[in-house]
Amino acid sequence: MIVVDKVTKTFSVSRQQRREMGPEFKGSRIDAVKEVSFTCRPGRIFTLLGPNGAGKTTMLRMIATMLKPSSGTIAVAGFDVVKEGVEVRRRIGFLTGNTGLYDRLTPDEMIKYYADLYGMDAQTYGRRRQEIFGLLGIHEFAGRRIGKLSSGMKQKVSLARTIIHNPDVVVFDEPTSALDVVTSRAIIQLIKRCKEENKTVLFSTHRMGEVSLLSDDLAIIHRGSFIFNGTYKEFENQMQTRSVEDEFVRLVEAA
Amino acid sequence: MSRFVTIFRKEFTDTIRDRRTLFMMIVFPLLLVPVLMIVMTNLQRSSMKKAEEKVLRVALVARGNAAVLVGALTGHHDFRVIDGIPADSMEAMILRDSVDAAVVVAGDFDAAVARMASGKIRLFYKSSDDFDMVKRRLSDVIGAYEKQLVADRFVKLKLDAGIVNPVTIEEHDVASMKERIGKTVGGMFPYLFVIFCFMGAMYPAIDLAAGEKERGTMETLLTAPVSRFQILLGKFAVVVLTGLLSAAVSIVGILFAVRQISDIPPEMLDAVVAILDVQTVVLVLSLLFPLSMFFAAFLLSMSIFARSYKEAQSMISPLMIVVILPVMIGLFPGVTLGPLTAMIPILNVSLATKEIIAGTVKTGLLLEVYASLILLAGLSLFGCARWFQREETIFRGV
Repeated sequence: MIVVDKVTKTFSVSRQQRREMGPEFKGSRIDAVKEVSFTCRPGRIFTLLGPNGAGKTTMLRMIATMLKPSSGTIAVAGFDVVKEGVEVRRRIGFLTGNTGLYDRLTPDEMIKYYADLYGMDAQTYGRRRQEIFGLLGIHEFAGRRIGKLSSGMKQKVSLARTIIHNPDVVVFDEPTSALDVVTSRAIIQLIKRCKEENKTVLFSTHRMGEVSLLSDDLAIIHRGSFIFNGTYKEFENQMQTRSVEDEFVRLVEAA
Repeated sequence: MSRFVTIFRKEFTDTIRDRRTLFMMIVFPLLLVPVLMIVMTNLQRSSMKKAEEKVLRVALVARGNAAVLVGALTGHHDFRVIDGIPADSMEAMILRDSVDAAVVVAGDFDAAVARMASGKIRLFYKSSDDFDMVKRRLSDVIGAYEKQLVADRFVKLKLDAGIVNPVTIEEHDVASMKERIGKTVGGMFPYLFVIFCFMGAMYPAIDLAAGEKERGTMETLLTAPVSRFQILLGKFAVVVLTGLLSAAVSIVGILFAVRQISDIPPEMLDAVVAILDVQTVVLVLSLLFPLSMFFAAFLLSMSIFARSYKEAQSMISPLMIVVILPVMIGLFPGVTLGPLTAMIPILNVSLATKEIIAGTVKTGLLLEVYASLILLAGLSLFGCARWFQREETIFRGV
């Protein structure tokens, strides 16, 4: 479970960033996330939807303990992200669309590396490796250097790395961006599987098709604040337009 | 601890599989020194041989004087004597490369010699050519002629040659060959060690921080249940090791080069080999260890700050000059290891290495160098760790 309570994240703005933002931006600090609260429950997929720069990645990075909230609290699987960062990271799997891999390692070496970092014992790792490598079809290229693999194979290795330690909470930050249809589908399947395994799934995207396909709960974030937060059913019921995309655009423009 | 070992092991494997790093760490120091030494020595030797064997074109104006000298020059198969050139055009002739040198004997030379005075011989040459060999070869002939004249005068005056040498100096140099070579060539060794230590650490530092940020692997690593300090420590240890390895490999390169250069006098070869004995090498590496720690922490700090591999490279490459400068100061005559210089980073390593090689290092000063380097390494690691905790640094441009 993820519980986010009145979280704000403020960044200081450099002179160069101020120039890039134009003359209408005043001040030296910016709220990337403002007073945001939500709860992701086990066995459900929570979708965070928003345009580029809305604050999705900042929110997810705070949940994964990479960034500290400026105010408010976040608890992941019952642990506070600021005070108990290591415990949170033990229970979380994190995957982004830009996730890189170590090109000079083999998939076997890469996954073992993370398994060791997660403190997995040899027996558990062996069993889990068999299961995941089989599920994703990694066995055939497990000994080849990652740099020599196709992008689809690499994404499979990334997925294996994300779930090797069987985390209670899985966070996907725009995992399908810049991926082809076949590889995107593999990720969608994995997200569904995580839900079936009663994991807490938090998923950010700007692809509308994925929203209707996966979401149990939905929040729309715009300029750091939620402009919708509820179940996907509630979202559908309050729609004033014909498609999810049109409704998303309507809400963003109205905000 | 086990997490640190895991990170170290992975980073080291990743680093040694990188061809560029491997080249800078092993191949470059192992081959560059021997190639440079062998090529330069052979080039110099062949040029000197050429200059020595060259038949010199010597313009000679004697006006009937110094017949013995004229005979010696004309009969010498190493010189081709050219007569009939006006005395006032000698300089121009040499500058135009029409002749290599000119000997102009004064018109009253014989008369001056006859009355036991000093006769004047003007020697024109261009010192910038052929290692100044022209002057040396002509001076040998003129010197022999002068010796003959002096001997004739002693005979004529019935004097013993010892009368003009009231003091005979018998030299006894107590400095060992190791010390002599250590104080001269020894200055070059720290130069190589420090440069290779820096260069060996440079690419891994860029790859393990800026490179990871660029590839997107840093973000993933930060979601693993390890502290940022453990992550940093694993990377730091690899960078320290590569810097040290690079310096150690350069020592092997020097030994290899020395053995490959033929006709080095055996006593000099023995001295160079003695300079780089196990004890000296261990002592030098023990100095380079804290220096490598400083380099690693400093380079990693820069690399963490950079947005990309390329940016880190352009930030770090100019620092090479900052590193070279103190080492070069250490090569200046008169700059020695003292209580003050022992506190100045890099310069202290350069000077202490020179003293270690010469076998004249003082324990107190050496301890001061260690203390200064360990303090510096500790402070820079502390600063780097603080830097690595900053969100603004890690996520700059990510």
